[in-house]
Amino acid sequence: MNECAKCQGLMAEALYDDLSPKDRAAFEAHLTRCGACAAEYAAMTETRKMLDVRERRNPGPEFWEGYWDRLEKRLDAEPAPRPARGRAYRPFALFPAWAFRAAAAAALLVIGIFIGRTLLRPPAPRVARAASPAVSPVPGVEQASAPVLRARDYFERSKLILLGIVNYDPGASDVYGLDLPRQKQLSRALVNEAGSLQKDLKAPAQKRLRELVADLETILVQIANLESANDLDAVELVKRGVQEKGIFLKINLTEMGPSPKARTDKSPM
Amino acid sequence: MTDEQELIAGLARGDRAAFRELVETHKKKVYFLARDMVGNPVDAEDVSQEVFLKVFRSFDTFNREAKLGSWLYRITYNACIDHLRKRAATPEPMEDATLEAGFRDHPQLSGSPASPDPALAAERAQLRERIERALESVSPQEKAVFLLRHHEDLALGDIAEALGLSVGSVKSYLFRAVRKLRKELLPAVAGAANGGLS
Repeated sequence: MNECAKCQGLMAEALYDDLSPKDRAAFEAHLTRCGACAAEYAAMTETRKMLDVRERRNPGPEFWEGYWDRLEKRLDAEPAPRPARGRAYRPFALFPAWAFRAAAAAALLVIGIFIGRTLLRPPAPRVARAASPAVSPVPGVEQASAPVLRARDYFERSKLILLGIVNYDPGASDVYGLDLPRQKQLSRALVNEAGSLQKDLKAPAQKRLRELVADLETILVQIANLESANDLDAVELVKRGVQEKGIFLKINLTEMGPSPKARTDKSPM
Repeated sequence: MTDEQELIAGLARGDRAAFRELVETHKKKVYFLARDMVGNPVDAEDVSQEVFLKVFRSFDTFNREAKLGSWLYRITYNACIDHLRKRAATPEPMEDATLEAGFRDHPQLSGSPASPDPALAAERAQLRERIERALESVSPQEKAVFLLRHHEDLALGDIAEALGLSVGSVKSYLFRAVRKLRKELLPAVAGAANGGLS
């Protein structure tokens, strides 16, 4: 992460004077070196001060005086509350909520991969194998390169989805501009293809293609399981995965290689 | 036993006096959050009362290790989101929207105190109105985080607990909320920088 990104990460806390002395010192040191961040912070500070003009819309003392009476009328119309069971009946409360969320996310990921690899495998390989001889007058060459062609097509389609997510900036973009439902649907379809494609890329020289398909599968499962474009943590996780695995670089390398029609399956990457 | 623990024990027994104490202590916080989230006073009262009724009905779901205030904010936030979803399905009648806008625009009806300087008062009223409109441009999550930090002065960790988010997400939402507000208020920010509004 570069210094400006770190500085932006601290800006919300700085605005409300929530920074620790150490972070405050680092933040201020960066501002002295970076004019853009200093200008951004100055404008944000000005905005924050301006927002102090805002007042909560108070309905007035009469409203508050009658609040309980109005609530009590509704309460009297309610059935009696359930008796409290206390902590003894709540064993799951021993664990923090994030632990359950993390476990649920991991379970979903595993289930997604399992379904993609086993239950929802498409009949694509058979089609590809059956189509190959008709397309090529040189059966040995074309049959061998069909999985590579399929892999390239797979990478191209995955790349389009990933570009949509990676270039999505929740702060600047319209949430609906992402068309998340469509992205999820396409991701699911690609996850379903991944298992069979990896099996078909069986030649030793196709090891890197297989690995790239596996990397993409993991990321596409995350996209397929995104609940909302506003789920910043999950979107960030996808972006980080794409970056850390160097997905675009790997896809570009496969695109830059010689045409598969002019060669056999050897050394695709 | 602290006051809050006594209150919690009373609520667990279904004690109405304890419930009233809870309502009197927290009614403004709950109402103001609902008011800012759902936009109009009638719905805000309805949502805030629903929150308290839910607390009374299902106090056994409260985790005693959590903070009562955070739990209340979480229920309020969820109730507001539910309300906004339902309202999106059934559009607000035109009269309500017109009345609401009229109340907002009118300094006396909106409860703003009278100012000795009419020009300054008008300027401030205009800015307030712009801020309200700007707040409509932020997402519900961003708005809730901003309201809890800016108006309720909650620590980021407490906001995270109240809204069921990570502290990192809270920071991100807060940053984006202020940045969006800045964008919406840009001419006013420039005016203030030039010494327009003190």
